[in-house]
Amino acid sequence: MLKVKNIKKTYGNLVAVDQLSFEVKDGEIFGLLGENGAGKTTTFRMIMGLLEADSGEILLNHKKIDYSITDQIGFVTEERSLLTKMTVKEQILYYGALKGMTDAKILKELKYWLKKFEIEEYENKKIKELSKGNQQKIQFISAVINHPKLLILDEPFTGLDPINVRLLKDAVYELKREGCSIIFSSHQMEHIEEFCEKLIILVKGKVILEGYLKDIKKSYGIKKVIIKGKNIDITKLKKIEGVESIKEKNEEIIIEISNEKLVEQIFNSIKKYEILKFEALEPSLNEIFIEKVGNSHE
Amino acid sequence: MNKKLLFLTKTSLAKKTKSKWFKIINLLLLILIVGVINIDSIITFFGGDFNQKLEIVVIDHTNEVGETFKMGVKSAEKALDKDPKIEVKTTTKTKKEIEKKIGKKVLVIFDASNKDLLKAQVISDGVIESTDYQLITTALSTTKYNYGLMHSNINPNELEKISSPIKVNRVILDKEKNSDSDNMDMVMGTVFPTIILPFFMLIIFLVQMIGSEIYEEKSTRSMEVIISNVSPKTHFLSKMFSANIFAITQGLLLLIYGAVGLLIRGSIGNSSAVTSLTAQISDIWNLLVKSGFVEKLSYIIPLTLVLLVFSFFAYSLVAGILASMTVNMDDYQQIQSPIMLVLLVAYYLAIMASMFHGSLFIRVLSYVPFISCLLSPALLVLGQISILDVMISIVLLLLFNMIVMKKGLKIYKEGILNYSNEKVWKKFKQTLKKSR
Repeated sequence: MLKVKNIKKTYGNLVAVDQLSFEVKDGEIFGLLGENGAGKTTTFRMIMGLLEADSGEILLNHKKIDYSITDQIGFVTEERSLLTKMTVKEQILYYGALKGMTDAKILKELKYWLKKFEIEEYENKKIKELSKGNQQKIQFISAVINHPKLLILDEPFTGLDPINVRLLKDAVYELKREGCSIIFSSHQMEHIEEFCEKLIILVKGKVILEGYLKDIKKSYGIKKVIIKGKNIDITKLKKIEGVESIKEKNEEIIIEISNEKLVEQIFNSIKKYEILKFEALEPSLNEIFIEKVGNSHE
Repeated sequence: MNKKLLFLTKTSLAKKTKSKWFKIINLLLLILIVGVINIDSIITFFGGDFNQKLEIVVIDHTNEVGETFKMGVKSAEKALDKDPKIEVKTTTKTKKEIEKKIGKKVLVIFDASNKDLLKAQVISDGVIESTDYQLITTALSTTKYNYGLMHSNINPNELEKISSPIKVNRVILDKEKNSDSDNMDMVMGTVFPTIILPFFMLIIFLVQMIGSEIYEEKSTRSMEVIISNVSPKTHFLSKMFSANIFAITQGLLLLIYGAVGLLIRGSIGNSSAVTSLTAQISDIWNLLVKSGFVEKLSYIIPLTLVLLVFSFFAYSLVAGILASMTVNMDDYQQIQSPIMLVLLVAYYLAIMASMFHGSLFIRVLSYVPFISCLLSPALLVLGQISILDVMISIVLLLLFNMIVMKKGLKIYKEGILNYSNEKVWKKFKQTLKKSR
């Protein structure tokens, strides 16, 4: 379990991370969201022990993180961090040895992961000869080769096609089942929404929203109704008080509402038509993020 | 040694020594060094004319000097320590007849002259090799001298007394020096640059190697992953150790290549050129022995080696720290320039050391880390500084390394995670401030 308690980091007058606290339990996937420059990378670097926090503490399984326990952490950086002149095997042997693993153990794990990612034939190829997607898989393997207790994934799906995203997601779920605590950061909100049970949104180093995703969404309530039907007269819908906007897209009517009590009123006003679809939706994480981050700039 | 430090050092060293670049460069160096040492044999093997006799055909219109010239050539060859390779023949053929089929021969025509006593014409198809021409002119002068003696009433003994060089009895009051010490300056001017050149090259290798490795790890962002598993100190030390072990290994390899070259030379060493070079080396060696230099080697070599090893560390420390600031190739080139400049200054000061004659400024410069590794040994060999001065240089270098190591590690730790695109020196200054 990872515990981050009131950490603060400043660079001169700039406060990069301000009194940040969160907890990631074993087998939990935690989302760390924020714009560029929000303090995510600084937070990751502090967790990895690359940077020292000005105050606060970071504990992994009740121990302060230092070089005696960094072997238990895996880190997939935002940009590819591979020595491109090495072969896949050399690279994994190198990173594995840095995590204190024996060559035999590394090679056994490498075989498993290469098979899982369907890239066994690339074992002796140089990294620079691989496609971006395959390089990303190698980077992922290098981070999980030691079955870490804590895995930090900073934009892990960048440059991957949907099939490879699925392969990597499956691998992350596998590690979650093993009890690995996972911190995940991405600009692609749909991945966060699919993955994370719990999240934090950072703006200029400060937490502006935190909690379990389902609770956060619930607190926002239903904000959108999507209707698909035949010959629906939308002029009546426009007159309902609390309807903020109505758009038509792909034969669907998308209605934005101010509160979820309006759902029933809308349904009643269109029930005489032939309805193919009626959906009341909570806001997406993307919408929450834009609203929260947008407000913080105002 | 820490397990991960050992692993990183071994990996970094293996990366350098197993690279194609290293193998190709060393193969070329081996060929080059062995080739240079045996250049004469190679030329001879490919049909060169190291042993080919030079034929001089003499037309003697005086009918008196042909034999004298022949003897003159022989004694000139002997005086120059050269094996006989010039064959002199007198002929009755005409100038035109010989010119038609001159080939590689040299034609010498002697004519009596009322004005100059004896005149000579030297005719060849091409340019005569300078040492051969020098030898011919020496023999011609001797011939004229003897011809003159025959045709004048001058007492040969009197003439000998007049023309022989003055005998000088050289007395040097400083007991540490002898008359051969004067020649040391000349030897230092020719031999020393050759001896220190490999060290100069090795330091260049070292700076480039350590810089490029750190730059590569930083630019590929693998640095973050590495540093998250090992401390920056361990990482930095591994770079220091591997680069220095590599430089020392490369230095030893150069010595081995030299030894191989000499062995090959020894096994085929029966040509005249071989014996000539051996004789020259032997002359220089005798001069060094007479000047007392060889006796000094017992402390010059260890002190120089200590200075070199500490200087290798100093250069690699600074190169490593500066390389941690780089994010692109421009930065990497910029950080190398000042280091190379200082090294170049040290090299030139060392090869020109004999010109300074105990200048206090140069003596102080010889204490300066980075410069001391090349300048101090040069001044010590010349007797311009004492062992104590070299010891001061070593202590200063050691202190410099310790301070740079302590301070530099903080800069390195900040630098390797700094990816800002600011100018490299500005970034360095900022990081230096932060690390205080």
